[in-house]
Amino acid sequence: MSQDVMTDPGKRPVLQVQNLRTEFRLRSSTVVAVDDVSLTVHEGECLGLVGESGCGKSTTGLSIMRLLPRIGHITGGKVLLGERDLTTLSEAEMRKVRGNDVAMIFQDPMTSLNPTSTIGVQVAEPLRIHFGTHRKAAAKRALEMLDLVGVPNPRERMDDYPHQLSGGLRQRVMIAMALTAQPKLLIADEPTTALDVTIQAQILDLLDRLREELSMAVLLITHDMGVIAGRTDRVMVMYAAKAVESTSTAELFEDTRHPYAKALLESVPQLTASSSTLLPTIPGQPPDLTNLTGGCRFAPRCRHAKPDCGTAEPTLEELEAGHLVACFHPVGSEPEPAADAPELAAPAPEPVADEAADEPAAELPTVVQRVQAVLGITLEPRPAEPPPAGPPAAAEPVGAQAAADPMSAPVLVEIERLFKEYPVRRGLGLGFGPPAASVKAVSGISLTIRRGETFGLAGESGCGKTTLGRIVAGHEHPTAGTVRIDGKEILRLHGAELRRGRRQQQLMFQDPYASLNPRMRVGAIIREPLMVQGSGNRRQQWERVAELLGEIGLSRRAMDLYPHEFSGGQRQRIGLARALALNPGLIVADEPVSALDVSIQSQILNLMKRLQRDHGLTYMVVSHDLSVLRYLSDTIGVMYLGKLVEYGPADDVYDAPAHPYTHGLIQTIPVPDPKIERTKEKAAVRGELPSPVHPPSGCRFRTRCPLAQELCAQQEPPMQVFGPGHVAACHFPLQPPTTLEPPPGVQLAMTDPRGDA
Amino acid sequence: MIAYVIRRLGQAVIVMFIVSVVVFGILHLLPGGLVRAQLGPRATPLAVHDLTVQEGLNKPLVVQYGIWAWHALQGNLGFSYKLNQSVASLLGEYLPRDLLLVGVSLLFAIAIAVPLGIWQGYRRNRPDDNALSTIMLIFYSAPSFLLAVCLIVVFNIWTNLLPSTATNFGANVGTDVRVLALPVMALCLGNVSYFSRYVRSATIDNLLSDHVRTAIAKGAAPRRMLARHVLRNSLSSTVTLVGLTLPYVLSGSLVIEALFNFPGMGLLFWNAAQDRDFPVLLGVVLVVTVATVVGNLLADLGYAALDPRVRLR
Repeated sequence: MSQDVMTDPGKRPVLQVQNLRTEFRLRSSTVVAVDDVSLTVHEGECLGLVGESGCGKSTTGLSIMRLLPRIGHITGGKVLLGERDLTTLSEAEMRKVRGNDVAMIFQDPMTSLNPTSTIGVQVAEPLRIHFGTHRKAAAKRALEMLDLVGVPNPRERMDDYPHQLSGGLRQRVMIAMALTAQPKLLIADEPTTALDVTIQAQILDLLDRLREELSMAVLLITHDMGVIAGRTDRVMVMYAAKAVESTSTAELFEDTRHPYAKALLESVPQLTASSSTLLPTIPGQPPDLTNLTGGCRFAPRCRHAKPDCGTAEPTLEELEAGHLVACFHPVGSEPEPAADAPELAAPAPEPVADEAADEPAAELPTVVQRVQAVLGITLEPRPAEPPPAGPPAAAEPVGAQAAADPMSAPVLVEIERLFKEYPVRRGLGLGFGPPAASVKAVSGISLTIRRGETFGLAGESGCGKTTLGRIVAGHEHPTAGTVRIDGKEILRLHGAELRRGRRQQQLMFQDPYASLNPRMRVGAIIREPLMVQGSGNRRQQWERVAELLGEIGLSRRAMDLYPHEFSGGQRQRIGLARALALNPGLIVADEPVSALDVSIQSQILNLMKRLQRDHGLTYMVVSHDLSVLRYLSDTIGVMYLGKLVEYGPADDVYDAPAHPYTHGLIQTIPVPDPKIERTKEKAAVRGELPSPVHPPSGCRFRTRCPLAQELCAQQEPPMQVFGPGHVAACHFPLQPPTTLEPPPGVQLAMTDPRGDA
Repeated sequence: MIAYVIRRLGQAVIVMFIVSVVVFGILHLLPGGLVRAQLGPRATPLAVHDLTVQEGLNKPLVVQYGIWAWHALQGNLGFSYKLNQSVASLLGEYLPRDLLLVGVSLLFAIAIAVPLGIWQGYRRNRPDDNALSTIMLIFYSAPSFLLAVCLIVVFNIWTNLLPSTATNFGANVGTDVRVLALPVMALCLGNVSYFSRYVRSATIDNLLSDHVRTAIAKGAAPRRMLARHVLRNSLSSTVTLVGLTLPYVLSGSLVIEALFNFPGMGLLFWNAAQDRDFPVLLGVVLVVTVATVVGNLLADLGYAALDPRVRLR
């Protein structure tokens, strides 16, 4: 498989980037965002550009298109499209290239389309611009393109506005628009990051198909090693504005040579990973690009670093034919450093880092933020994340109580026949009278969560999982049903009792940037719950804050800093400390790591596990990321359109899912292994989530289910037992049901108390 | 959409009712009441009594309000004893001239502010943008009467290009465009600076948005990008502003009209206030209230027309 396409005579190079250097000139400093990067993309080939936020991968794409923000400048190198060097073209000439020879699709289909113009007009626009095609002819071609990218009923969609389409459809429209003028090269910048895994698989399949049909070259920019494994022919890994490894995809995964690439691969939670070990992490943070000290940029975080790594900067060198690595001591060329073993066995507690507070980075945040603002990306260099003296163990059992016998621990949370509907106003809508329709966010869910365990709730966006989490946390009132925590019905509480009750369950949020008040110091943020609850006196409260900061691995001095002075990972730690302040029994974490980079994500996941072990916490983790849930959870629930379709011990559910939806979800997760990815069935879950206002009759999943039959439309499937504590609701399950007793709190016959199911 | 308009008009009726109650209340809070206001402090008790009965002021307040509201609905807003004319006919005479003045000045303000704001947003923080911003700041911070005086000095006293006052009590307003020029300019300049600032910042926001980046990635030239992908998006927030400004422009014309001796509602109000001619004052207040409600409604409808995401419900 390790053929070297670079020397393949059968394919012509479409794009050759040679020694590209892009700078961002800020008021007080210059950031080299892309430093001496060279790459080649051939006809019909997909080159993957992978790395974490701020590594320069998106800037490379924008540099090729010359779409850099005002402060960005290409200061060196060539971008050869065929014979032409794009860096030397005038702006007017460059305009003829954009959307014509080279097209680009962006990450967020929600914001990347013009909200005030119809789909048809936008898809036809490149033809109007580049060929002056008549409006009617262009519209005809746009219709063909919409059909080509699989937009259902394209004729009707032509006059729709972007907000009338789902995210997946909008990304299809983006692709149609990019390909209207039949470009030679397509740059796809994180094209599926904002989408659900099920839709991601469909969009990536579409891109694969179109690449083949149109024999286009594709530059796929992504942070997801799983996407790289399944979709690219060759890969380039970037770190801190530099290319660190470049080879064929198969070779990269088989024989990873750069320590960063290797560590990055390892820190991705695997679907097969046992949840009883800690994840390997990359300690620390990427370097501050405004203030480089020389030497290998990865050296401060590298397990394999030697003294010479700090003195000179390694350049890309060809280790084998077509395999380039920028490292003095590539993995596999020397015996593994002895330091590796103790690291793995070291206990988890991370030291309190004083560096974090030593330099509040007076200038850096503004600089970095400005770059972030204009680029819409995240650069991470902030006060350094505490570099753990001994990085967390990878082999240490955690969550001991739960792991011992999860089935016998006492029940903490009981959810019974929970319904939540949001009225949709219609007609004159004078604010009274019965609503004409309602969004059925949660439709009759019953389940239990045991003390000390982690319950993972999975499902696509819009399935109601966040609503369920908010109800359990006491932040939302259900339409019907009960939630008992520790035997107490939380929804019956009012006033002071309710406020006291809230100590028991705390929320941890998804977005570490939006969930901390930017005008409050970190100390005050963490102290606030203590003040609200009147817990202890002033001195005790501040002592508790210091103690909490220690728990999450930040210095006491972090108290006096503001949230913007911390990185995303550190902020998420602060959010966790705030949730912990009142010693809650239950923490509801809504997508706790989905805004973070892989290497930072694993640090947070390990911290959550350690805190659970130390404090006997119970977690309810809501996430779309099944790999993260697999790693964290003891028990898994899968929701589809307001219904619980499967529930059971994590291992059972992942290894032998009974519901076709669960199976489909697991199938669509991109796995960082090309061998698995290449042999997978294409897009295991078809189509898109139906409207929760008018859910399908019978089994709600039937419209997308490959096994659906007539019965599924007529009758709602009952819960059946598939193993100890493992239930699923399907008429045609993937394995025969057993006659075991259902787990407590789960009703087999799911009847709607109001009888409108 | 139609349901929305109907509901908004329903709300407007409620607002008008509340305003009319307040207005009616003010009418009766006057020291000495309406009668004294009309007859003056030295009227004889007999004259006061006669007028009280004649005006129905001895009836209960609720009944009086009912009569007043009934008359107002029929277009009878009372009688101005000072001008010896019904308020309705006064408004009928002054309001059209005012609508002309305000309408023309608003149209000019929008026509100048939108291209200016988009240009400034496109050229943000460059020398030309900075220069324009400075000039606009001067217009914005200068009180309108100061601007008006400056205009009179420049265009009338120094160059004698334009007349500074309307002659013949407004008879030539409809026929001689030159009479409108200075008051329109004085009203317009402040709004240009106000609106263009808004358009500029909306443009900057839009230029940094993802969909504009998409447009550039498609190969759109600046002109196309601004016209197709920025203009409409920037206008939707500005139209709200214009709608909300309408009542201010109407009442803000008060000083300008007095200065230019322009016979509009402002001047009517000004004179009525000096003469304590309460029926006229109240009639003007009602008209401004209606303008506020209508301006709001137009702003919302304009917003919905420009932004397809806004569905009026």
